[in-house]
Amino acid sequence: MALEIKKLTKQYNKHKTGLSNYSITIDRGILGLLGPNGAGKSTLMKIIATISKPTTGTLFLDGEDIVKNPDNIRKILGYLPQDFGVYPNLNAYEFLEYIAALKGVGGADLRKRIEMLLDGVNLTADAKRPIGTYSGGMKQRIGIAQALLNDPKVLIFDEPTVGLDPEERVRFRQLISELANDCIIILSSHIVSDIEAIADEVAIMQNGTLLEKGTQPDIVKLVEGKVFETVLDSQQLNDLKARHLVIDTSRQKDQTRARYITRGHQPEVGSVAVNATLEDAYLFLTHTKA
Amino acid sequence: MQRTRSYSFLITLAITIYAAYSFVPPPTASYTTLNVVGYKGIYNSAWVGHVSAMMTTIMLSLYGFFLINGGIKKDVDTGIGQIIATTPITNFGYLLSKFLSNFFVLLTISALTFLISIVMFFVRTSGSPFIIGDFILPFVFFAIPALFTVSALAIVAEVFLGRKLILQYIIFFFLFGALMANVVGHKSSTVNTFIDTFGVNTMTNSVKDKVNTQYHEHIDAVNLGFTFSKKHRFKTFEWDGISWTGVFIASRLMWICIAFGLVYFSSFSFHRFDFKQASGKKKKAMAPANISHTNGTFAAGINVSLLPPVVTDYSIFPFVKTELLLLIRKGPKWFWLVNGGLWISMIFVKLDIAYAYLLPILLFLQVTRWSELATKEVTNRLHYFTWSSFKPLQRMLPSQLLAAFIMAVALALPVILRSAIAGNVYSVVNIINGAAFVVLLSASLGIVSGGKKLFEILFFFITYLITQKMPLTDYLGALPHDSPIGFISVILMLNVLLAMVSFSVRSWQVRHL
Repeated sequence: MALEIKKLTKQYNKHKTGLSNYSITIDRGILGLLGPNGAGKSTLMKIIATISKPTTGTLFLDGEDIVKNPDNIRKILGYLPQDFGVYPNLNAYEFLEYIAALKGVGGADLRKRIEMLLDGVNLTADAKRPIGTYSGGMKQRIGIAQALLNDPKVLIFDEPTVGLDPEERVRFRQLISELANDCIIILSSHIVSDIEAIADEVAIMQNGTLLEKGTQPDIVKLVEGKVFETVLDSQQLNDLKARHLVIDTSRQKDQTRARYITRGHQPEVGSVAVNATLEDAYLFLTHTKA
Repeated sequence: MQRTRSYSFLITLAITIYAAYSFVPPPTASYTTLNVVGYKGIYNSAWVGHVSAMMTTIMLSLYGFFLINGGIKKDVDTGIGQIIATTPITNFGYLLSKFLSNFFVLLTISALTFLISIVMFFVRTSGSPFIIGDFILPFVFFAIPALFTVSALAIVAEVFLGRKLILQYIIFFFLFGALMANVVGHKSSTVNTFIDTFGVNTMTNSVKDKVNTQYHEHIDAVNLGFTFSKKHRFKTFEWDGISWTGVFIASRLMWICIAFGLVYFSSFSFHRFDFKQASGKKKKAMAPANISHTNGTFAAGINVSLLPPVVTDYSIFPFVKTELLLLIRKGPKWFWLVNGGLWISMIFVKLDIAYAYLLPILLFLQVTRWSELATKEVTNRLHYFTWSSFKPLQRMLPSQLLAAFIMAVALALPVILRSAIAGNVYSVVNIINGAAFVVLLSASLGIVSGGKKLFEILFFFITYLITQKMPLTDYLGALPHDSPIGFISVILMLNVLLAMVSFSVRSWQVRHL
């Protein structure tokens, strides 16, 4: 199973481009989308979810044109958007039954399926209460449950861990990892550790374009040997920022520990080379290819 | 600025432009907007200016309430209210700003009708001298005080009735009717001048006195509003406008002061976005929403392989069921007692009363259910799910329309059955046609404007005019019409047009989020 995206462009108006000549092939497994705000992650996801039409370009799922025939992917799609709502007067059962109807899922076992999903996201105890009374994290869990109603083969999660506490995030990652064997999963997040923990491949985006795509080791290799840490005072920090890409700083008494990536210059005296991470690579790519 | 940057406002402006154009009908038109029985005023500066101002005042007061209502609710719903609550602005300061914002929205529309009235003067008259004062003064002394009053009433309604939108609408409906009934037809007196919210009494009495003096009549009734009549022969009279007496001006200032006073006193009861403190009610002790007494918030997690297999079912009936559920649950539960009471009344009162009055009112009382019919998925941000679902246009929208239609027909059932028993087939068809009209009107206006306000305004207007026996708005066919078949055809064609608009615009929307 593969999703082939070729030269996708989304032009909102003369001044605003969502995606620009974007091409990518997404195979079975988890693709993590990383990018700053406005990179085009949500635009891409909306196009794949068929709720937005590209201006130009093609999108094929196993050879079927999704742009022309969106219903083909809709039958097997699970989508959790970044900012979704619920009907506050419905309880969890009723809401999931509604979503099941939207997805064309029925049958005698639908109720059982819903109950198991609610149990899986630990909402059984609250399932008969109106969803309008739920906390943000509970709504997010309902969102996850609805995405899985139709046994999807393409799953799109746009910032899925927003509102989840650390334990819930771990559980969510476990769930997604289990699903990855049989599905195409596209996951976007600002929390790099979420992507780092489970993504088979990572695509880094900026300004509607694809900066880099590959496995995590391949992406990290781009900054291997370039990441250092050093301790200095605030005056030296400013000089450091002028010469290198400072990724992170933390205060230690009256000094600052800085983590940085060299940009053509020699590392600072006294710096220690550290292992590069996905976040290092992401920040390097978005700052140098901007 | 925020209020006027919406499709609802623009469409309301467009409708107002048309309405303002129709305030001054051509001499051969089958309707008038102000006439004394058998007499019509010559179109001079005074006539056109005063009639336009008065019609603007009444119409804008009527639907303006619905247009401006919800300013505070918007701040609540968007969360901006919580930010406002932390600022130094006083309750009165905040409400005053909302009040003035309401007023300026209505003033913008009123200014447009003012300009159009001047244009209509030149279109409809020939040779009559143009006196700008005949246009400015009526707008200043009729429209502005009325707009202040309606703006204040919208604030009062939101402060005291908060989210009970339907209650606000009902109360305003009856209040407006009471205000109009209170003064039309009363003799001129200082007291009546002061209690006349819109200045209607002063103007109609002046017109009446002119006719009675000129033609030695004893007429005491003046028709103000769109009056349809087949009679084309009227005697004419020249009216020079009303005298702007000190008493009248003082009465207008009084209403402006009352408006400001209402806002001021409302500020003492304003919740300042702290609803628990403002409600003063003890809420049921509910377990905090996110405490679950199991270890881990995902519990055992989801083992997808153990889930029952998916069985596809693309029928729309589960949708229809949920949509009906959403319609029924919209609004407070106790309101169904009111609905039930009216429904039962329609069984026992005279059929023509049930048909002409109770049924339109009962349908209007569901305005907040209908108004969100095709917009709630966007309002509640579910459109990501609904529009990415399988064939949303062929399944979702028809389900929404069908559910609402079922509800409308169910509400109209007593009148439908009684008409059927009485052998009145036309009435049965008209009511069913009319039920479809309401549903399609709400869907199309909601889809096109992206909100519910436009439909709420229009539906209120239609219902009010039905109770005033205006045949043009008789979507249920309760009033006599020249050609029953022709009437059915017109409503049916409207329904088809509304359906086409709904589906075509929604078809574009679902692929252009």
